[in-house]
Amino acid sequence: MARVVLDRVTKKFGEVAAVNDVSLTVFDREFLVLVGPSGCGKSTILRLVAGLEDVSSGEIRVGDGLVNDVAPKDRDIAMVFQNYALYPHMSVFDNLAFSLKLRRVPKQQIRQRVQQTAATLGLEGLLERKPKQLSGGQRQRVALGRAIVREPQVFLMDEPLSNLDAQLRVQTRAELIKLHRRLEATVIYVTHDQVEAMTMGSRIAVMRDGVLQQMDTPTGLYDRPANMFVAGFIGSPSMNFLSGRLERHNGSLQVTAGDLVLDLPPERAAGADSANTQEVVVGVRPEDVQPAASLVPNGHRPINASVDVVEHMGNEKFVYLSLANASLVARIDVSCPASAGENLPVVVDAGKIHLFHPATEEAIF
Amino acid sequence: MIAGRRLDTLRSNLLLTVVCLVWVVPLVWALGTSVRAPGEPVGTGFLWLPGRPSLANFAEAWSAAPFVTYYLNTIVICGGILAVQLFTITLAGYAFARVPFPGRELLFSLFILQLMLPLTVLAVPNFLTMRDLHLINTKLAIMLPYMASGFGVFLMRQAFRSVPLELEEAGRLDGCQWWQVLWHVYLPLTRPALVAFGLVSVTFHWNDFLWPLLVTNTPNARPLTVGLASFALAGENGAQFPLIMAGTLLVMAPLLLGFFLFQRQFVSSFIRSGIR
Repeated sequence: MARVVLDRVTKKFGEVAAVNDVSLTVFDREFLVLVGPSGCGKSTILRLVAGLEDVSSGEIRVGDGLVNDVAPKDRDIAMVFQNYALYPHMSVFDNLAFSLKLRRVPKQQIRQRVQQTAATLGLEGLLERKPKQLSGGQRQRVALGRAIVREPQVFLMDEPLSNLDAQLRVQTRAELIKLHRRLEATVIYVTHDQVEAMTMGSRIAVMRDGVLQQMDTPTGLYDRPANMFVAGFIGSPSMNFLSGRLERHNGSLQVTAGDLVLDLPPERAAGADSANTQEVVVGVRPEDVQPAASLVPNGHRPINASVDVVEHMGNEKFVYLSLANASLVARIDVSCPASAGENLPVVVDAGKIHLFHPATEEAIF
Repeated sequence: MIAGRRLDTLRSNLLLTVVCLVWVVPLVWALGTSVRAPGEPVGTGFLWLPGRPSLANFAEAWSAAPFVTYYLNTIVICGGILAVQLFTITLAGYAFARVPFPGRELLFSLFILQLMLPLTVLAVPNFLTMRDLHLINTKLAIMLPYMASGFGVFLMRQAFRSVPLELEEAGRLDGCQWWQVLWHVYLPLTRPALVAFGLVSVTFHWNDFLWPLLVTNTPNARPLTVGLASFALAGENGAQFPLIMAGTLLVMAPLLLGFFLFQRQFVSSFIRSGIR
């Protein structure tokens, strides 16, 4: 196995930079997830690492070697495509064996490795079938098997679960995590689904418009987003954003956003001071907005809100609230009474809010 | 509702029968005439079937002209053209479909343009080229102008473009060189197009007359069609229709037989490759 390094990689299609000056390191045996909205350049990065596209500038290293000018077949990389790309005219066995045949692996060994891979993925009974005789989930496993059978240094996966139905997707997600642990492989996994990213990645790289926004562990991204884009993209429902002001009041620093007035704890006030701005964007996770009754710490002033919509999730509910001149989403316990049209006083946990610079959208803290 | 559908079926069946008759009548007449006994004039008796059927005309036609040489020539010519064509149209079709290079679309348009040129227009320049190459009266002279095919390149380009690009990419990651991708991925998936092209090509060159006539002047290099024509013109006392029909059927027989044997595959190939 091996690590993968991108060093100031740029890929332009005409004038458009699909990938813009991206540097990142995928550690040996790491499961790195590239996530972002469609068109953010995440798939292009995967294709650059695979060698299906050439970089416009920058360097890509796999293991210890520079691979910029190495043909895809010599990079020792396997890729799982979104639509699986199984060879329709070959049986499952031949699909799995194809790469080994091309590498002139002895027949006996091919048979053995294909059967071993088929056993790992539960494909034993399907080896003689053609891809069109398989279900979506089975095709997905064959595509995975085609990658595994080669025992490559690095696996690239391009939204491999997006063509599966919701239930199968969750199941396969867990199987992929187990498989990664067993294979001890380096995996770069592309998805636009932040839930997939959060559940699978050892680390996550968030992309937007070809630019790497932040790369961190799932909790790191969630707790310390680097900017408003990452803050809004990671987490569901999304973080609430309110425009507000920083003001000094009786010696302590206050954030005001409409009706919402929060005293910043002293340890956070220092960070806010250094930002050198009065205008801020306040970010509040839905779970940090709670009904006033359930949380009465000192210094928290309840604010009046009216309930617009309530979404029941079973174990919790999402409440969409209207404030005087803003709106908020709250994630509250299912036992809390809240129904549309009613008033619901809420408090916001000042210790957990995020502040962003309104112009640069970068996090102040 | 059902009655209407039945009427539709009836109507289309009627139409098909008429069209079918138009195609079949000459064949039936040729067959009927060819088995007329040598002494029996065409105008006598029943027009379609002779009084005393006989295969004597076939025997006479076969021995009157060097049909064995003609057959061999035609097979070599058709086979040779097809073999080279399959090679050139596959490579060119792949390049036009999947290899980006400057001027690709322009060059492809020029290839398409070739489809619009009637072959007879090129007969004279082609003839002069063959003369300069000292190839007159050789089978190679008949084959050479056809070894690249605008139609074939067009057909294969379309067929290759219908293969998902991911399959090529998967192949390249699996360890293929470009020609291995072509061989292992593209060609198996575009076989219907290749078969359809092969049929069109063989039929065309089996029946081609003008060009082989222009560049040959002895039976050594002549294909069946030219041989048949000179055989038909050789008669001293007017047209010997029974004899000519026997010769004609001898020329057509392999194509007819092939078509009857592989009819189903042919039709499905044409449908799958989009040629009708």
